[in-house]
Amino acid sequence: MNRLVAGILFCFITLAVNAGQPSLPKGFISITPRPAPALSLKNLDDETFTLTHTNKRWAFVHFWASWCGPCRREMPSIEAISKQAGTLNMDFFIINTAESEDVVFSFLGSVAPDVNSLLDLDGLVTEKWQPRGLPSTYIVDPSGQIRYVVLGGQDWHRPEYHSFLLKLGNDPL
Amino acid sequence: MNVNISRITQLGLGFIFPLLVSGFPYSTAFAAPVGQKIDNAKLKMTIKPRSANQMAAFYEGREFPLSAIQATRDACFFTVGIRNRLNDILWHDIKSWKIVSGEEESKPLTQDDWKRTWQQRGIEQRFQSTFRWTLLPDSRDLRPGEQQGGNITVPRSDKTFSLLASFDTGENRKGKTYTVRFNDLRCLEEPSQ
Repeated sequence: MNRLVAGILFCFITLAVNAGQPSLPKGFISITPRPAPALSLKNLDDETFTLTHTNKRWAFVHFWASWCGPCRREMPSIEAISKQAGTLNMDFFIINTAESEDVVFSFLGSVAPDVNSLLDLDGLVTEKWQPRGLPSTYIVDPSGQIRYVVLGGQDWHRPEYHSFLLKLGNDPL
Repeated sequence: MNVNISRITQLGLGFIFPLLVSGFPYSTAFAAPVGQKIDNAKLKMTIKPRSANQMAAFYEGREFPLSAIQATRDACFFTVGIRNRLNDILWHDIKSWKIVSGEEESKPLTQDDWKRTWQQRGIEQRFQSTFRWTLLPDSRDLRPGEQQGGNITVPRSDKTFSLLASFDTGENRKGKTYTVRFNDLRCLEEPSQ
């Protein structure tokens, strides 16, 4: 009898704990938090963007390359979700890995012209982040800890991604 | 106790199959590129040779300098795919893989080997980085169901060889070790002009 009560209590406690955490959309992996490597890169307009922990916002850090098939397919939906940065209360860092400005310019011009891609021209920033493959996305919390990894290309148009990121972006931790 | 998957494949659970190469201008004077596959309850692994011209075309398309292209021609490329079918972590580490040709035994080239080559030739970092992305990572833990792909490279030779690829398992690599064996591999010849 005691075991039964303990079991029911455990279920309630588990439900209560999980109720505070949104379910993970496809491709998301929750990881043990670890510090996000430093990141300061320029875009095609020579403007510098730096990942800092001082703006108290979550960050969406995405690595891609034009030669990567899933990256090409995914880029229009990356463009769409990045346009919602304000609503999501989230900073977006979309980073091309080791390609020239000409390649990035011509690729984005035909696939996702409104993406503000940063240029990791020598690929060294990407190496510090050690993605398991391209494309890879990291979700960084406002204190600078990587909390989620998203492996492979996703359809960011889908509502579950929007609602998950919206919930995160408005979570002050 | 280690389980040698090559023995399992000898029992008929794995098989070799020819990959279709339609649309690629291979001459009948040379054997068509044949891929091999091992697929069982532990893992699925495929390997397919690539010709020097195929690889050169890929890297030339990414604006690699001539010196780098020439270095790729000194190696043989094989595109490898691995899928973990275990409910446990599967580790690959190509430093533990063996290339066996007759009495000779060697290892696939590692990312460090290529880094030395690039540094000797003064190849820009961005090309090194892109090249690295085309290789199978030297070492990687694959979660249940996770797959990984990329090229492995060996010094160019006209001899046939076997690849013995071993995989550790478990969070700390202390589980069983599985080994798969691919026989009769060879560098892919170019079609005659």
